[in-house]
Order: sequence, then C-alpha cells, then structure tokens
Amino acid sequence: MSHSTAEHAHHWETSWAPLVLTAGILFLVPLTFSAYFVYQNHLYTMVFAGLGTPLVLIGVAKWVSEGLTQKPLLAGISPSALPYFIISEVFIFLGLFTAYWTMRLSAGDNWPPAGTPEHMNLILPVLMTIILVGSSVTYHIAEEKLDHDDIGGFRSWLFLTILLGAAFLGCTIYEYDHLIHQGFGPSTNAYSTAFFSITGFHASHVIVGLGIFLAVLLPALANKTNKYFAFCAGMYWHFVDVVWFFVASQVYYW
Amino acid sequence: MSTESHGFSLREWIFTTDHKRIGVLYLIGSMAAFAVAGIMALLIRLEQSSVGPTIVADVATGGNQYNVWLYFHGAAMILGFLIPGLTGFAANYFLPLMIGAKDVAFPRVNAFSVWLFYAGIVMALLTFVVNDPPDVMWTGYPPYSILTSGNTAFYVFTVHLLGFASILGAVNFLVTVIYMRAPGMGWNQLNMFVWSTVTAFVIQLVFVPVLASAVTMLLFDKYLGTHFFDPAKGGDVLLYQNLFWFYSHPAVYVILLPALGILFEVIATSCKNMVFNYKAAVYGGMWGIVLISGEVWVHHLYITGMPDWIRIGQMVSTLLISVPVGLLAISMFGTLYRGAITYTIAMKYATACLFLFLIGGLTGIPLAMTVMTVHLSETSFVHAHFHYIMGIFATFSVFAGVYYWFPKMTGKLAGEKLGNLGFWFNFVGVNVTFFPLFIIGVQGMPRRYWNYEMFPQFEPFHKVAMLGSLIVAVGMALTIYNWIVSAISGEKAPANPWKSASLEWTDCANPPGPGNFTKDITVSADWTPYNYGR
Repeated sequence: MSHSTAEHAHHWETSWAPLVLTAGILFLVPLTFSAYFVYQNHLYTMVFAGLGTPLVLIGVAKWVSEGLTQKPLLAGISPSALPYFIISEVFIFLGLFTAYWTMRLSAGDNWPPAGTPEHMNLILPVLMTIILVGSSVTYHIAEEKLDHDDIGGFRSWLFLTILLGAAFLGCTIYEYDHLIHQGFGPSTNAYSTAFFSITGFHASHVIVGLGIFLAVLLPALANKTNKYFAFCAGMYWHFVDVVWFFVASQVYYW
Repeated sequence: MSTESHGFSLREWIFTTDHKRIGVLYLIGSMAAFAVAGIMALLIRLEQSSVGPTIVADVATGGNQYNVWLYFHGAAMILGFLIPGLTGFAANYFLPLMIGAKDVAFPRVNAFSVWLFYAGIVMALLTFVVNDPPDVMWTGYPPYSILTSGNTAFYVFTVHLLGFASILGAVNFLVTVIYMRAPGMGWNQLNMFVWSTVTAFVIQLVFVPVLASAVTMLLFDKYLGTHFFDPAKGGDVLLYQNLFWFYSHPAVYVILLPALGILFEVIATSCKNMVFNYKAAVYGGMWGIVLISGEVWVHHLYITGMPDWIRIGQMVSTLLISVPVGLLAISMFGTLYRGAITYTIAMKYATACLFLFLIGGLTGIPLAMTVMTVHLSETSFVHAHFHYIMGIFATFSVFAGVYYWFPKMTGKLAGEKLGNLGFWFNFVGVNVTFFPLFIIGVQGMPRRYWNYEMFPQFEPFHKVAMLGSLIVAVGMALTIYNWIVSAISGEKAPANPWKSASLEWTDCANPPGPGNFTKDITVSADWTPYNYGR
C-alpha cells in the first residue's frame, strides 16, 4: 500500500460532484417530501423535484466518470470499505424489524389484526425470491466474464441482471396495487404499517442497487469499467438479496 | 513545501476534497450552528429569569415559542455543533496528519459528508423560515411529535442528513486508520485522539442507523398515516423512546470520546509526558465504553414504568460504565503527574475540562441509582448534569483543540490576551449558569418549563443562571472574535510552538499543503507521539 508523494503533492484536489449531488439530494428528498406531504404545495413540489432530479443525475454521472478516470490515493480499497457501510444498513433494517417484532409479539392472538385480507398472496413472494436470487446468480456470471476480460459478456449478463431487478420491482408494484385495492394500505393496521414500511424500504434498496448497476453499465457500453466498482455493485446487490430472505420470512410467512 | 501559494480561490475551497479544508469547512459550519443555538440558549435563560412571561409574547402562545427555542438549541448543539465539531472538524483535519497519511481513503466521499452536514444545517435553519417550526425538543417523542401542528418533517430530515454524513464519515475514517497508517506505525503507537475517534466512529456506524429508522417511523406515522407509535392501533409509544435512546445514549460517548482524545493530546504535550496507562486507557477505557454503551439506554426511560429486573439491570450496567470512564480519568490525571506543565490557553481549557468532568461525572451517579432517579428525573438537576458533562465539557474540549491546533491551521499564534480573557469569562460563566440548577433541581424545579409560577421560590436562582449565561455570551464572543482576528493578523507561529512529538507538528508545515508531508512518513518501532524522553 505504498503511495508515492509526487502524484498528490502539487495541487489542491477538487471535485464538484459531491456538492452537486448533495444539493440534488436536499431538493429531491427533504424539500420535495415537505412540499408535498407537509405543505401540500404542488408548485413547490414540482420545482424541488425538478431541480433535484437533474442535480442528482449530474452529480452521480460526474462522480462515476471521475472514479473511472482518476487514479485514487489507495487503489482497490473500496471492497474493504463497503462491508462497513453494510453493517450500518443492517442496523437500519434491525430498527424496522424491532418495531415489527414489538407490535407482533404484543398483539398476542389478535394477529393478523382486523383489516388484513383473509388470504395474503403467498405465492408471489416465492416468485420474487426466485427472481432476486436469480439476479444474484446472473451478476456473479457477469463478474466472471469481466474477470476474463470478456466485456461483451459482462454487459449482456449485467443487462439481464438489471431486467430481473426490474421484474422484482414490477412484482412489488403489482402486489401493492392489488393490496391497496383490497383496502389494505399503509394506514390500515399495525401489520400493514410494518408490511409496507419493511417491503418498501427493501424495495428502495433494490432501486438504489439498480441505479448503481446502471452507473456500471452505461460506461461499460463505451468499454470503460473498473473491476472494484463492479465488485462493490455486486456486493451491495447480494446484500439486498440476503436481506430479502429476512423480509420474506418475517413479513409474509410468520 | 510545494504549496504553490497562488492566493485564495473560492473554487478550490467549495469543491475541495482535501481533508484539511473539509475540516475547516466543518469548523465553520459547526461554529455557525453553535452561535445560533447559543442565542437560543440565551433566550431560554432570559425567559426563565422571571416567573411568567418575560420575553415571550403572552401566556397563551409562550409555550410554542419556547418549545421552538428548546428544539433548535438541543438539536443544533448536539447534532450540528458537538458531533460535527469533534468527529467532523477535529478528526478530519488532524487524524490523517497524526497517522502520516496524505488524505483520507475516500476524499470525494469526505466532501460528500461535509456537504450533507451543511444540508442538515440548512434543514435546521428552515426552522426560522416556516410558519410551523418544529417544536419537538431534540428527542422528538411521540405522541406529541405526531400530534403537533409543528413541522416534525424538518426535524426528521435534519437527523437523516446529519446521520448520513456521520455514517459515511465513520466508514471513511475507519478504513483510513486501518489501511493508511504510515509504514511501521503499530496499533499501540497511535495518538490517543486517533483511538478516541476510531471508537467514536465504531459507535456511530452501529447506532446512527437505528436513530435514522426511528425518526423515519415518526415521519411515516405523522405524514403517511402508519401506526408504529399508536397504541390504539397496535403500535407502541415507548418503542420510539427505546430506539431513540439506543442511539442517543451512545451518542453521548461519540461526543465524550473525541473530546477526551483532544484533552489527552493537549495534556500530554503541555506536560511533556507519556500518556499514563496507555493500553489500559485505550483497550479498557475506550473500547470498554464502546462495549457497554449499547446496554444502558433504558436508564433514560426509568420513569416510564418497567419491570424491576430491567430497572435494576440497567442501573448495574449504567454504573458499570463508570469503570472504563474511570480508567480514562486515571490516565488523564496520571499524565499530569510530575509533568512540566505549561499553562497555554489550550491547557487552561483542558484543566477546566477536568473540573467539569468531575462535577458532571459525579452528578451522573445519583441519576443512575433507581432510588434517587425517581426524585431527580425531569428536574433541572438532570439539565445541569448533562450540560456539565456533555455541553460544556465537550465545548471546552473543542475550544482546547482549536487553541492547541490554531498555529497548525493558520500558521499564526492565537492572541493570548483575548484568549485568556475569553477563557475566564467562559469558565466562570458556565459555572454561574449551571450550578444553581443543581440546587433547585434537587428541590424539585422541573425541566423544560418556561412558566414556573407554581415554584416562585426558584426565581432568584434563575436570575443568577441568567446572569451566568450573559457572562458566557461575552466569553464566547471574545473567543470567536479572537480566532478571527488572530487568523487574519496574528503573530507568525514557530513551526512547533508547543514542542510536541506528534507527527502533525513534527513533520508538516503550518498549515500543511496538498499531500500534507514533504516526504513519505515511516516510523520506527520505538517511536510514539508522546516521546518526550521521560
């Protein structure tokens, strides 16, 4: 891990990507949410979302392109760092599960509470599990292709992975739509509270994972890849996959 | 040094990914939060200086105004000043220098963290823009936080943004310390400040996410109609308090540990001594705190009702944490022993910290005791206790750090005269403010009341506290003025004004240029940052 002095000693390093990304996040999440849900102001909602979305996209694009072209201070360190971030993610999920377990265990025999459909669709989660596990497998194959410098193969398998991830989200949308039409929405009862929060939070991780995959795929179309970036994208995706086992087993089958 | 000084460039500052400049940005942002939150504190003291409405409009709306001040004061001081001041400013600027690294492992992520912190400050400051400001303390307890007409969403997003910044910072700095130490630097050769920051970041990494999930549930309950904290629908209102304190008690150690780390640096250098009992302080003290910090949160819920076995168990674990804290205190006092002490301004703040630590620490013991706590809970005794240990102690340690590293950051010496004057105003002022609150707390003065017309006998004590807060305000103004003036036109500092043996003083310029060091750093097996030959 030696790093030579000469390369980084001559000028102040700068990047505008983090600032632009942060500004985008500020507009897109806190301000858009507040405009819509707190103040019910549609004009501000549109303005904030309209400012935030391009800023986030530009920030991420710039960041990724710098990551692919610039030489880092310490190459290949990100696969060692991501597990620490994943520890944090695990604890967010633990917080949500703790809430669910608390409500579930204090309800005693009164579970599922009134308002829950008599027959939850328990086949769909099996299909979703197969899709998500399948996508982990296809990404693993994609990485093997990259290891053998087969960038065409990498692109194809990555594309398939993204399709499977999108299919998973499609199932979620179908399921939510179906349940809400049956009168089972986030505010129905304690079970619906936990159900939509936990599956929704997991789905948001699938969306982030897909976003990361797109950030890997688009430069790969121009034959630009970074194996550590690809590896980290995969590690995050496998984490999202593993969490799904806990979500499915706890929320659907318990 | 190849600094290539071509003057000040705004572009180079706001787009910087350099850890030192990011550290300075953290310092500026956290001092801004400190100033505004300090003004809130003054308003609170002024309001309490007499029974009934003093500066609030009238009895009917006074509570709302007062709650907003309480909210901003607490949230901004803890989340916007103390945590970013210690783990943002101090860790960013000095940790890479102390381990001989050129920067942190992920400089862009580091810049991302500091701007997320600023975004959090923006969300907090929106309090003063909207018509329905948050009024939920810094704790956001339901059901009030859900039922209030105040904007709880701003509170939640402030926590989210600052929490996200903390988590990314934690990952970044842990990886930096693990992989980027100078060749030859073993774990037992790290600065105490480095160890204290590492342990603080371990706590952040594990506990911040739980707070994030708790406030997210709050957001969902208030704005999306879920029922996490609604007992009528099968939710649990105490669940929030448990999740909140599961993070927020350890958060106390996120502040305590780096604060102690700064004090160790200042004390060891000012005494020209080895750190006494280094290994016991690091592995027993700091890591002991990490280990126990997650098992004591229920003592914040003593009066909510719980089975005795939990109450007694929590009393034991809470008292147990005084063992690692005690190890650290012994180590600090031991470092003073037979030292050749130089009372610089930094050392004066550090010495004051030892006093504040003692008062704050000892008043924590009755609060841990289940028999005493029923009497003392929700009184101004608690208020005074955590202001001594967390508020003032940690603030003074930040000030000690700024004075200690001032020549490193600016290349100038901080003015002695104003510095000393500010110190004495601050030290006298905080004690005049908070000591009376212990006395009336024991006698039953409730916390958080703006109008205490049922207890008119406490009014003289509140008047003294108000006087104290004005003294502090003068001290703070002098201190910050002194920093600004000295940074611009102070006397040029020698390369190593305190004759420290630590890498940030011995091997880089004042201030260090890009890349920090002129040559690659390697250290020998017998090197330590406290090698004063004693």
